[in-house]
Amino acid sequence: MKKRGKGIAATFYGTGYGNGFPDVSKAVAEVDHDGNVNIYVCATEVGQGAKTIIIQMVAEILGLGMNDIHLISEDTSQTLDTGTAAASRQTYNTGNAVKKAVEVLKSKLLEKAKEHLKLPSLLGLEVKDKVIYLKTFPKKRVCFKDLIEEKISVEETFTAQTVQMDEETGQGAPYWPYTFSCYGVEVEVDTETGIIEVIKGVCAQDVGRAINPELIEGQIDGGFSMGLGYGIMEKLNCKDGEIKNNKFSKYLIPTALDMPELEKIIVEDPESSAPFGAKGIGEPVILPAAPAILNAIYDAIGVRFYEIPVTPDKVLSEINREI
Amino acid sequence: MNHISLTINKKMYSIDVEEDVRLIDLLRDQLFLTGTKEGCGEGECGACTVIMDGRVVNSCLVMAFQAEGSNITTIEGMSDKDELHPIQKAFLDKGAVQCGFCTPGMVLSAKSLLDKNENPTREEIREGISGNLCRCTGYNKIVDAIELASKEIREEKKE
Amino acid sequence: MKPLNIVGSRVIRVDGKAKVKGEAIYPQDIYLDGMLYGKTIRSTKVHAMIEVDTKKAETVEGVVKILTYKDVTGENHHGVVFKDHEVFCSKKVRRIGDPIAFVIANSERVAKKAAEMIEIKYKELPAVFNPIDAMKEDSIKIHGDSNIIYHYKCRKGNVNEGFEKSHVIVEREYKTSMVEHAFLQPEAGVSYIDEEGKICVCASTQYPHFDQIEVAEALGLKLENVKIMNPAVGGAFGGREDITLQIHLALATMVTKKPVKVVYTREESFHAHSKRHPIIMKYKTGADKNGKLLSMEVNLIGDTGSYASWAINVMRKAGIHATGPYEIPNVKIDSYAVYTNNPFCGAMRGFGATQTPIGSEQQMDIIANELGIDPIQIRLINGFKVGSETSNGQVLSESVPLKRCIEEVKNRMFKE
Repeated sequence: MKKRGKGIAATFYGTGYGNGFPDVSKAVAEVDHDGNVNIYVCATEVGQGAKTIIIQMVAEILGLGMNDIHLISEDTSQTLDTGTAAASRQTYNTGNAVKKAVEVLKSKLLEKAKEHLKLPSLLGLEVKDKVIYLKTFPKKRVCFKDLIEEKISVEETFTAQTVQMDEETGQGAPYWPYTFSCYGVEVEVDTETGIIEVIKGVCAQDVGRAINPELIEGQIDGGFSMGLGYGIMEKLNCKDGEIKNNKFSKYLIPTALDMPELEKIIVEDPESSAPFGAKGIGEPVILPAAPAILNAIYDAIGVRFYEIPVTPDKVLSEINREI
Repeated sequence: MNHISLTINKKMYSIDVEEDVRLIDLLRDQLFLTGTKEGCGEGECGACTVIMDGRVVNSCLVMAFQAEGSNITTIEGMSDKDELHPIQKAFLDKGAVQCGFCTPGMVLSAKSLLDKNENPTREEIREGISGNLCRCTGYNKIVDAIELASKEIREEKKE
Repeated sequence: MKPLNIVGSRVIRVDGKAKVKGEAIYPQDIYLDGMLYGKTIRSTKVHAMIEVDTKKAETVEGVVKILTYKDVTGENHHGVVFKDHEVFCSKKVRRIGDPIAFVIANSERVAKKAAEMIEIKYKELPAVFNPIDAMKEDSIKIHGDSNIIYHYKCRKGNVNEGFEKSHVIVEREYKTSMVEHAFLQPEAGVSYIDEEGKICVCASTQYPHFDQIEVAEALGLKLENVKIMNPAVGGAFGGREDITLQIHLALATMVTKKPVKVVYTREESFHAHSKRHPIIMKYKTGADKNGKLLSMEVNLIGDTGSYASWAINVMRKAGIHATGPYEIPNVKIDSYAVYTNNPFCGAMRGFGATQTPIGSEQQMDIIANELGIDPIQIRLINGFKVGSETSNGQVLSESVPLKRCIEEVKNRMFKE
């Protein structure tokens, strides 16, 4: 018999190294004498979209297109330390460092343009497509290339704020910011085979502010999939220190047939210390998937599982025990 | 040592291969067609998918000498110079790419599917790519992309 | 919110085009002239003293050099927090998969053949696999004097008073499993000496600047003489934070003065990098009859296996997130990280905060069920909001849209 059930889980996640440890990102932004905009950061692109997010932020501040920005990000000899691509920290930490550097660069450019255009004030000066112009009289304009004799380079550092906890009581402020999630899932349990099919998911994810909704949705899909594997599929079968399932024919991860369609809801509530209000979501998106599935399994068959993964053999043995 | 002749991405090759060389090794190590990826070496992950005589195969499970006389399409043969294939374009537009390591194999499985069934349901798309593992995307945007590509290709044909 | 042009829009990812065309370069896609190939020899025993004899393997035609701990020119160690990994094991192996030697040869085929001819004599030692056993004083030790490497304590309010006031108390034990990142791109890398004489390593990593420090220290070089480059990375999820092949490659190039390449098989990848910490979680939760949480006591034991990696930080994060996103006035949490002879565990997406909701979120449903309250309602009653205080006494001053997230799911899925 196939039995259906629904479950929910809510979670939170603190960004960064935490616990008062210096969590530092450094970025360099420059405009060279040809008017090229170069950004130097060492934020690793592991597939999460770090490069795209950083370039979007720069493009927004300087009024440029995505293709106008040259990102140098893959070489320790050309970049400063931006910390690890982990702890969901690159959008928040490196994003903040880049934003600071580019904003200072922009103000230097405006100051130079004011002098070049012989204007009495910075008021009303706009930057777009590598041209600085006066909004009320656009003929007063100068392009980056004509403005800059020697390259202008700005280095900025962002350090996150956390407080080391007391060792006896754990009192302190270990992380900032926190990101929140809630997922609901529906499962169908086959009581004859023990197979659990996740048939639907609704995922509401706090993001602070979305820099790129397409990338966020991709993270939600991927996080859900990894959580699904964690809850009901993945097993290393480690016996006496030896991993028995050390290849993909034995260690099963979700395929396209295991993943349900997901309704993905991006919840925005900007965080004032974050770049454009954006919080990191790379890890938060995995957290509620497995527990929501476990709660849905209980709703379907009235059996609670205290150990994961809930593989078909475990489902069958529990059902048989109930009988 | 074997001498084999085959066609890869519409180009003829005549080449010596050792007995124990797999098709993936020939493509990558001898011809430097590195778009074909090795993820598991046992035909489970599909990262090494190529199209051989109209069928998708895992190039890690085919010996190079078995490819004698065959016609092979790899990811490098999917686009004409800068013009992306509608499947590749849809993968970009629908956000179906993350780390990108499964992407070449995924694109080729999608092509093979759409060559046989130009208007698949989402479930048929899921089956069509079920031999290709992806750890990043959770597959949903890949399904979206293949659905979009199918529509684009059908509309192109109408015109 | 101020409307913006590019921030907030569905811009196509900048690395996408190269990836759909198969043109993105991952480390295994790099081929250099005169390149040598490396193959790592790893422990097949969980805990043993070793003696390594490479003589026979060195006679294989095409072998250039076989590296062991004796060839490490700097510190024979690495590690993200403790330097408890050896670049190559000198006397002792502590898990299956510990690196012992590294064959450098003129082809991959020769490297593999020679690797099989390296003779390793193992004198096996007793081993421990259960973290609860490993915590006992008389347990065999993996490193140093104790297997307990970290104990996180959280004490807020008075849990006993909280339980006394509770209408319902739910006490359960949960176990999570050790799992694998399974990124699609197995580890690979290429090393060479550049025109300035720097040792360069191209490898997939999450943190190039930290790898630079680890490589420089192990080779005994100044930081500026090491360069790490990070081409396309085929997924990571925490599994590329610890060193795998970076130091082996750098050392091989330093010794041979030639470019060297290594590509791991999938099986080797499973043994080479960290895993997710399995955690044994004891939860005791008390609530009043309206479902308001009053007290929570949690005990977490995380098995970090044979090396610490990020264990301290992971078990700390697990402890901090153990309550779930709920206000609870009385909290007592103890979280331990413990060495065993299992595969080593480190960072994986969620980092301790993925494990605890397996317990805390089932506790919420069990309590709701016992009290006859809706599972959504109990989360709304207790959920964090602006101004809430966490178990650490931290005040959530802004951007706490938890209840909006719960309402969104409720409205779409649980509307009767």
